[in-house]
Amino acid sequence: MQSRTFSRTDILAMILLGCMAIFVLRLFWLQIVEYDTYKEIARQGQQRSFTIPATRGEIYMQDKGTAVPVVLNKAVFTVFADPATVQEKDRSEIVSVLRDVAGGEMLNDVEAKLKKEQSRYEVLAKNISRTQAEKIKEKNFSGIGFSQGSVRNYPEGVLGAQVLGFVNTEGEGQYGIEQQLNDELKGRDGMLQSVADVRNVPLTLGKDNIRIEPQSGKNVVLTIDRNVQSYAEEALKRGIESAGATEGSVLVLNPNSGQVLAMANYPTYNPGEYYSVTDASAFLNTTTMVPYEPASVIKTFTLSTAIDKGAISPSTVYQNTDCVAVADRTMCNALRGLGGPTSMQQVLNNSLNVGTIFAARQLGDGQTVNASARQIMYDYFHNKFGLGEKTGIEVAEVGGYIYPPDSVEGNEVRYSAMTYGQSLSLTMIQVASAFSSVINGGEYYKPTLVAGTVDDQGNASYDTTKPLRRTISETTSAEMTNMLVTARGSSWMGRSDRAGYMIGGKTGTAETISSNGEYTQNETVATYIGFGGTDSPEYVIMVRVAAPGKGLNLEGGLHAGPVFTDISNWMIDYKKLAPRG
Amino acid sequence: MSKEKTIMITQTRNTSFTPRRTTMQPSMRRNQNGTRYRSETKLGPVAHTVLVALMITVLGLVYLTQATKTTAYSYEVQDLDTQISELSAKKSELEVQNARLTALERVKGSAVATAMTTPEATDYVR
Repeated sequence: MQSRTFSRTDILAMILLGCMAIFVLRLFWLQIVEYDTYKEIARQGQQRSFTIPATRGEIYMQDKGTAVPVVLNKAVFTVFADPATVQEKDRSEIVSVLRDVAGGEMLNDVEAKLKKEQSRYEVLAKNISRTQAEKIKEKNFSGIGFSQGSVRNYPEGVLGAQVLGFVNTEGEGQYGIEQQLNDELKGRDGMLQSVADVRNVPLTLGKDNIRIEPQSGKNVVLTIDRNVQSYAEEALKRGIESAGATEGSVLVLNPNSGQVLAMANYPTYNPGEYYSVTDASAFLNTTTMVPYEPASVIKTFTLSTAIDKGAISPSTVYQNTDCVAVADRTMCNALRGLGGPTSMQQVLNNSLNVGTIFAARQLGDGQTVNASARQIMYDYFHNKFGLGEKTGIEVAEVGGYIYPPDSVEGNEVRYSAMTYGQSLSLTMIQVASAFSSVINGGEYYKPTLVAGTVDDQGNASYDTTKPLRRTISETTSAEMTNMLVTARGSSWMGRSDRAGYMIGGKTGTAETISSNGEYTQNETVATYIGFGGTDSPEYVIMVRVAAPGKGLNLEGGLHAGPVFTDISNWMIDYKKLAPRG
Repeated sequence: MSKEKTIMITQTRNTSFTPRRTTMQPSMRRNQNGTRYRSETKLGPVAHTVLVALMITVLGLVYLTQATKTTAYSYEVQDLDTQISELSAKKSELEVQNARLTALERVKGSAVATAMTTPEATDYVR
């Protein structure tokens, strides 16, 4: 066998060829076999996803028909670091600059965060202003980025706090309009997925870039007039302090549209500093969220029902007694000693419980508030006036209750008590909306807080309102309006009204339930509901004054009535209503 | 003489025109160019390689230029985005300031408002 000999050149060539083969095989392995793996590693290193935050919609109130902002967005910046790209020599200077510029907004352990080289995102400071951000940007640190966000700003301070609500640190609306219209207000965040350079600047390289534009939230215009709201809050505070009470609410409505002009609550808070509130009940909008027994203001609905059904008229007379037997109970008037022939007008004037029981009995057999009478009452109270049901207003609300006549609780005793406002549980917004229908010609409007929207150019567009249903006839409405004007005019409160205007209303003094489950007069809640205008009602005002747990005997006429008078007289000037004649 | 002339021509011109009428397809139209230019310059393999390498280099440079330009545009876009967001931030600050200055509490507390008095009576023009 002949052996082959290789020259040194051949051997060198073979070694080189072998090396080349190794390189080729390695490159084949890396570039072909492991292609997807390394592509993914490269993508993770180069590609970034950026959230483009949507601008939260602003909230406006009205000022004589002009939309004015009451909740705005203030630009704030978050400073973050990509520790993998922060240069070691810069770390101490970054901390020092942040301490000087961001101060209290700087987060803890910034130095430790900058040393986390495995991390690509560490927040160093939050909610710094644009000026502060610019000062840090001037330093041009590598690996330090800024993301713009916004926080809510309330230029009117405490005005309408419970109506507006607030936005928490997670950007979610809490209470009020902020919570109820959270989805409409917050809009939808956009997204940018792109290859980025070392400073996280997105580059338009690569075919996998995605950009989805954010959708800003809606700018909402409320029906609330800031002047009416402000005055209502002031008047309520004055009234509560004067009565020695601790809490209360005021509602001002346009009875001809259902639009809420003011919704005041006391005590209140500043939504811009919601975190400093110690008693969470300050967040509650009691006009929609706290049901109670409104007491004698309900007599308006009992008499409306009976007149509308033709069972009585304002001049119907009955023999009044201080008390009357109802099943196994005895129900009495608050005002005693007015026995004898009494008209329905006097029932309203003197708030006679026995008189409203008489009116309810006329709906049945005239002797008892029987099943037929109870069914009619329920049909009017619940189905027509909407009492005991959520109204659909654009803030959180509760329904309260009215027991139906076919339930165990819906007996004669309960319905007799209901005629003068006990044994039912209603919110102020339910009562005020129903009352508006009594004095506006008999049309029920859904109460609303949202008047329309404002576009990005600041142009407001307003929604129109339509009545939902008829509650009583126009004739009944006219008679009830007249009775309410007469009732107010016959009391000492009427003397405080401006001459030449049509002002009417009804008091309510609600007994509370004591610890043993019985009604007690030791602690009462004062309510007043009324309306005003020149020839027809232009506004409805409902006032509630209370002092839970203080044992105060608050009366509708004495403690809630003055607040009504105060606001009513102011409304006449504000709405520039000329007197009759 | 004519032969000499012919030889001279052959030496000075290294191209030839081939009349195409003879091989003309039947579809050829009248007045259509009937000659074909054929270069007799032959490029060697080295020249070919150099030319291909040059073309690849040029194409590579074109690609690099475009890619760099795209990146430069990215920075311009980023600058513009930053400007937009800064201007938006300024606008929102001014809006907040405007709302604060026209807020009811501020207006009520202003020197003009505090100097106002309540009218004693109001007359209505009918």
